[in-house]
Amino acid sequence: MDNLHPLESTVLLALSRQPDSPPTLDQLAESTGLEPSQLSMAVEWLLAKSLIAIYAETVAHLASLTPIGELYFEKYSPIERVLSAAREAGQTGKRLTIQDIQCNQGLEPSDVSKAVGSLKKEGSILIVQGGCIESTGRPSPTAEAMRALLQELRSGQRELQTFAEPLRDVLQQHAVKRGNAREPFRIDERVTRSFLLTTSGQAVAQQLSREGVTEEVSQLTPDLLKEGAWRNKRFRKYTISLRAPRIAAGKRHPYREFLDLVKLKLVSMGFQEMRGTLVETEFWNMDALFMPQFHPARDIHDVYFVKNPTHAPSIAEPYLTRVAQVHEQGTGAESSGWGYTFNAERAKRLVLRSQGTAVSARTLAGGAAVPGKYFSIARCFRYDQVDATHATDFFQVEGIVLGADINFRTLLGLLNLFATEVAQAKEVKFLPAYFPFTEPSVEMHVRHPKLGWMELGGAGLFRPEVTCPLGVAVPVIAWGLGLDRMAMVALGIHDIRDLFSADLDFIRTMRGSF
Amino acid sequence: MPTIAVQREDLEALIAGPGETADRIPPDQLEDWLMLVKGELKGHNPETGELRIELQDSNRPDLWCCEGIARQIRIKQRGAAIPYSFFDKQKPVIGKLLVAPGMEKIRPYVAACAAVGYRVTATGLTQLIQTQEKLADIFGRKRRTVSIGLYRLAPIRFPVSYDLVKPDDVKFTPLGMETLLTLREILMVHPKGVEYGAIVGSHDRLPVLRDAKGQVLSFPPIINSREVGEVQVGDHELFVEVTGTDLPMVALALNIFAANLADRGAVITPVEIQSPVKTTFGRRWNTPIDFGKPRSIPLKAIESALGEALGGQEVAAALKSYGYEVKSVGKKLTVQLPPYRNDLLQTVDVVEDVAISQGYARFAPVMPSQFTVGGLSRLEQMADRVRHLMVGMEFQEIISNIMGSHQDFCTRMRLDGTEWANVVEVDNVMSLSYSCLRQWITPSLLQVETNSSRAFYPHRLFEVGEVAVPDKVVDVGSRTVTMLGAVIAHAEANFSEIHSCLDLLLYYLDRPFALEPLVHPSFLDGRAGRIVCNGRTMGLLGEVHPAVLDHWQIGVPTVALELEIDRLLDEA
Repeated sequence: MDNLHPLESTVLLALSRQPDSPPTLDQLAESTGLEPSQLSMAVEWLLAKSLIAIYAETVAHLASLTPIGELYFEKYSPIERVLSAAREAGQTGKRLTIQDIQCNQGLEPSDVSKAVGSLKKEGSILIVQGGCIESTGRPSPTAEAMRALLQELRSGQRELQTFAEPLRDVLQQHAVKRGNAREPFRIDERVTRSFLLTTSGQAVAQQLSREGVTEEVSQLTPDLLKEGAWRNKRFRKYTISLRAPRIAAGKRHPYREFLDLVKLKLVSMGFQEMRGTLVETEFWNMDALFMPQFHPARDIHDVYFVKNPTHAPSIAEPYLTRVAQVHEQGTGAESSGWGYTFNAERAKRLVLRSQGTAVSARTLAGGAAVPGKYFSIARCFRYDQVDATHATDFFQVEGIVLGADINFRTLLGLLNLFATEVAQAKEVKFLPAYFPFTEPSVEMHVRHPKLGWMELGGAGLFRPEVTCPLGVAVPVIAWGLGLDRMAMVALGIHDIRDLFSADLDFIRTMRGSF
Repeated sequence: MPTIAVQREDLEALIAGPGETADRIPPDQLEDWLMLVKGELKGHNPETGELRIELQDSNRPDLWCCEGIARQIRIKQRGAAIPYSFFDKQKPVIGKLLVAPGMEKIRPYVAACAAVGYRVTATGLTQLIQTQEKLADIFGRKRRTVSIGLYRLAPIRFPVSYDLVKPDDVKFTPLGMETLLTLREILMVHPKGVEYGAIVGSHDRLPVLRDAKGQVLSFPPIINSREVGEVQVGDHELFVEVTGTDLPMVALALNIFAANLADRGAVITPVEIQSPVKTTFGRRWNTPIDFGKPRSIPLKAIESALGEALGGQEVAAALKSYGYEVKSVGKKLTVQLPPYRNDLLQTVDVVEDVAISQGYARFAPVMPSQFTVGGLSRLEQMADRVRHLMVGMEFQEIISNIMGSHQDFCTRMRLDGTEWANVVEVDNVMSLSYSCLRQWITPSLLQVETNSSRAFYPHRLFEVGEVAVPDKVVDVGSRTVTMLGAVIAHAEANFSEIHSCLDLLLYYLDRPFALEPLVHPSFLDGRAGRIVCNGRTMGLLGEVHPAVLDHWQIGVPTVALELEIDRLLDEA
């Protein structure tokens, strides 16, 4: 009884008041004053609990007009229109074909042929040579029945059984059926049920009236509190095992959460954030990094070039002159450069930043601190077909470390730190690698708890050809971390494009395990 | 960088050296060995014995072949360079190759040699062709700077001449064809002529290699003659030539090829090149040619770069077992690269070779010890504050791509022809969907709305991200602005709801602002405003115009807000 909803109590009590004449739903609605939806809910619940039972069930068929029927009432049904067209043609002496009727009346071919079929059967029309239709002048009972039905049902629905036999037949023939929705009439089944209390229902109802618990409340309100009325109320108990309704939270994007964590780690290791621009000159994107102007990665198929303006007006000096010289001749006695003619115009060409190292180059030129550690999480663009492993733009986590104590071994030490701090890896492996702007170069592989051995990043010591022209006199580590695969595992996704998903449901449900 | 296919047995035989018994490569050994060549095993077919190896170093074309990989491993095992006697300048030549005057304007340089005594096997031929293609394609930039030809030696009579001829004057039967064609016809109809014709086709005279009888060897860099220039399995006398536009690269490519053939057991005989103009090699020189120079490297520079006091002897041993010639050891080491390499620009290049030769595991990691203060830029700090406030107002954060289409950023927003349609566009568009950078965030968020009509409402979305705003005053032609974009979408969304969010946000950030009416095609007239702070515009907000919603097929009222986070800093 504790589990009774107030609606259920109301219905039980109403039924116990008239034990001898089991009421229908309509009658119950009247006696309880409940809304039909509330009432049917309560009745379903009580049936499920076997506190009430169905006493009797009758099925009535109700006929009504469909929207097509409304239309036929206004503009006449096909059978009426075909008959009147045939009669009109008979008076004017015109030959009338089925096609004519279709065109003139704007009717569907299937409607016309059905109408012609019925009229011919009733002898109201004849089909003569050449497929022409002639009126016989005889009336069509179907057409008349149709008109009568359209008129009658327009004022509201009516029980099928109350129509006379011929009308009922026409009604049934032209009622909406499965597979044919274009009909003027609809016949709906209406089940009328009457209810009575079961034995256990009677017991509960008796208890209800005895205890006078007619007022069980579902929600504590300020009024109940204010007036102290809550003291006399019973609070309905909830079925707390049900699933909670879904809500949406305001929250960070899970991928951004991951990047925030990386950011936090880097800052905690003493790295200062650097920022750059989405559009860069080839100079800062490549020349300053000692990538020769004929390098394959500078090809039109690897970098996006900007349409307008195509070039920056100038490149800051003394960097342009110094970098040009390094490309052509090297850094000094022990260095030879690439030995080609540097094109200063090419250096001004504007591109979409293709590597985060461009931000590092700018920082070095801008007077980086010694000792100094810097990082950026920079959006970069590569000229790649977009697929499950290539996004049109993506984040690169990159940076530099400057210091008098920087050498190959401290480079490995820093990478070890990244492996434990950022990837929580216990095993690390260093492999020789190649980047145009570092020497020696290292690739770091770590054993990921889920993925096994994977490449975590690349690094190296900037070549003197990079640091000298930018006015940096100490060794510099350049490092980059490839974190997208780690992020994808943490977020449980397999397609890099999902990191930038536009599906809100997906974003709302995605969660990271960092 | 190149990925090549090699046969395991071929690699094993080459590691052993000509005439030696090959050992099977232990399965766990290969990856360690590949570290010597910056190689990564990409695939392995146990049935065919094929290994697919990616070589990373774009400055070491000598490693882009089975012979080169094997050579580096073999040198490590024997601890010293492999001597190649054919680089000896006194070595007798097989004949001369005469360069015609005028060639300097078209394709000036050539190098050649003969290789006798290696009977070409099927595997060997596949490797020769693969090396020829990789060198010409990647190192030679699709044959533009370097291309290579292989011939049967027997029919060739010396001296060979590297001539310039008129396109209609010379005919020969090219590889892959049955009939005699003129050079002009080859450029027009032969697949290689069509593919590579542009390299020389604009000149009124074209290069050919002919022998003393006038027999055509090839039309470099397009195609060989079918008679002389088709090497087959079983041939044991070969002629190799390289032509190109860069003398050191041409010489290096031939050196690599000569070393490769020698490693397979061939005896290499040089060819004398005679040039009508003076080059860095003079007017007459023999190829292959060792044009490397000894370098003097301070030991201290190597030790301090590596962070390890290795001592002169260990450094010398490491370099020798990586193929260097070490001429003297002291405070300075005098070293020279083997003739098939030309990638020593700097001391640091030697440093890396020492480390690779020793193995990176030889060097114990040390933590950098100097103290530095970490921190975020002011912009990032402000961006983070904004993000946290937006999350507190129950907005879901979105991350979108910055690159997209004009259609999305402008046309669908009804901005075409207005000042707001100014975007950074890409010149070499790959696909129209990714042809420009976004100038505001709202379209990215409307994209989410388009895709999310089935996600339950209300929708509150925001993104803090970068946009590119064209600006002629800036040297790169655009400003990169960090922007907040936010939208609210549900059946009753209206101006006042997003206005309240803006109001609260700027209250917490302590930036007093005013709204001025704004006429903007993306928003309903009279329901859009400009956000003004101390007389400067820093954003806008409004009810998205129904026509825009229509373009995006969004079925619920949507309001949007855009705020420049950089400006928030300026106003601080």
